[in-house]
Amino acid sequence: MKIAAQESSKFRRALRSEPVILFTVSNFTFAIAAGAVQEIRSTDSLAGSATEIDQHEVPKVRHSFERAHRTYFVVDAATHFHLPASRPSLVLILRQVRAAVLVDRIERMADISSVYPVPRGFVGDERRWYRGLIYLDDRVLPIVQPSGFLTADEFTLLDRLVSASGQSDLALAGKPEGWVPR
Amino acid sequence: MTATDPSAASFVVLQVGERQFAIHADRVSELAPPVRLHTFPHTTPLLAGVIVRRGRIVPVYDVGPVLLGRPAPSHRFYLVARREFGAESEPSAIPVNGDCELANAVPEPPPADSHPYVSAKIEVGATRLEVLDLESLLSAAPAEAQP
Repeated sequence: MKIAAQESSKFRRALRSEPVILFTVSNFTFAIAAGAVQEIRSTDSLAGSATEIDQHEVPKVRHSFERAHRTYFVVDAATHFHLPASRPSLVLILRQVRAAVLVDRIERMADISSVYPVPRGFVGDERRWYRGLIYLDDRVLPIVQPSGFLTADEFTLLDRLVSASGQSDLALAGKPEGWVPR
Repeated sequence: MTATDPSAASFVVLQVGERQFAIHADRVSELAPPVRLHTFPHTTPLLAGVIVRRGRIVPVYDVGPVLLGRPAPSHRFYLVARREFGAESEPSAIPVNGDCELANAVPEPPPADSHPYVSAKIEVGATRLEVLDLESLLSAAPAEAQP
């Protein structure tokens, strides 16, 4: 977990870098691989197409929407990360997972060259939430694991609820839970 | 028994809140200044965040809830010690309030009613101190707190 010494910007460009999107939720900043995000939309633009899901088993999910004949579940990031309620203005529609994440705002994009493992001392839900930690502009930030927003069991439960409410997603038959093809 | 006893060992005496404890010196890496604490959401008890020290990301444990029954008051330094994870170890930081000092003492078995995180007792000057077992302490849940 050693942080590399400051390289020159020229050398850093020569390393294999990865673009990330920095976003904030309840005053915390997170990173997500840009390649994991299919689209960023305003919550207003989603309002017309989202359907409310009446359930309490997965409190972080209150809405779903249809996209390319598949049901996506909208995850409130503040609830997911056990943070105080926030006022999300954007939704990150993920690429390989049938989830869209409500976030407060996008801070900026950045290139990273290293992801450090979460220290072993962290033994809670964060091991599923985060792919690792990054060191950027004198800040240590978690880089989220897209598949950590909803477990396979949660997808199964939510799919069943949506299906029972008449929004069956036949296109999902035979596909791994939560995954959509590239 | 005196400090010249061949069974004597080296300990670092540290202060958490108003109480003093000891840790085996061979577990301690350094006493670090109060560098910036980076925080992010997590669910692990006692973990306050991480610091960057000597090019490493080091988790910081607020042991106040276990040792004092409440979060530790503002601190002056971080005591960085090695925490074992099987065959590997990880630097781990504990906020401490005062200067730490090195002491030679002969460890004695802890009383039967000691907390699981107390591995021994030592006498430093006129003071009897609990020697902390880092693994038990840092994996303790705050519910076990008993000042």
